[in-house]
Amino acid sequence: MWLALLLAVAALAANFAFFANPPLPAALPWLSLLLAIAALVVLVIGLRRALFHKQVYPSKVLSFVLGVLILMFAGASLFVFFHARAVPNSTAAPQVGQQVPDFTLADTSGQFVSLENLFASSPNQSSSPAPKALLLIFYRGYW
Amino acid sequence: MRGVEKRLQEFQAVGVRPLAISVDPPAVSLELSKKAGYTFTILSDPDATVIRRYHLLHAGGGPDGRDIARPAEFLIDREKTVRWANFAEDVRVRARADEMLAAASQLH
Repeated sequence: MWLALLLAVAALAANFAFFANPPLPAALPWLSLLLAIAALVVLVIGLRRALFHKQVYPSKVLSFVLGVLILMFAGASLFVFFHARAVPNSTAAPQVGQQVPDFTLADTSGQFVSLENLFASSPNQSSSPAPKALLLIFYRGYW
Repeated sequence: MRGVEKRLQEFQAVGVRPLAISVDPPAVSLELSKKAGYTFTILSDPDATVIRRYHLLHAGGGPDGRDIARPAEFLIDREKTVRWANFAEDVRVRARADEMLAAASQLH
């Protein structure tokens, strides 16, 4: 049961590790999923042992509390895993080789700029040449 | 975006101008750039018009069920042609600055 709790806590911790700038961020969600599943498996084994070999776990209350904690932590990890991956797959979005639609949007000073304007100048450095490419980063927003 | 800001000069050296786009109004983006120290341009698409046009809408994906952009990155040349693109499968796993720099340095 203790092992299961440890695994569940580790699974949850893996979800927070993103803020620490890990070297392999792409592997973290899978690590967390694996740990959460391992925690649930160990929990089932622990519960069976508690039910059939009562001498191993003398305290029913402790077993119950541990079980609930493990379910909560592992459940939270699983929830985060599937929630974070619930993004639309955007098959209609522009692909490599296709042209992107033009747009005009406001910058942080409220000034409207088009793709053409953005290509025309480099920000901050009027001396540097106009960019030859733009890197468009769509993000979820700041909240 | 933190990684992009850190290596902004490297992007500029290969002639690439990074831009960020979200549904946040300009005031919120301004707050973000001030807090995070971002110096690249951040654009606001509050009605998600452009996000929709790019087929990147995550309907109801925001905190209060607001329509937001799904994370995605595009490298586009002066002919507005996509030279490299990335669509995040997990909202926490974004394209890394070094991946984007590698794609950027392959442009001519």
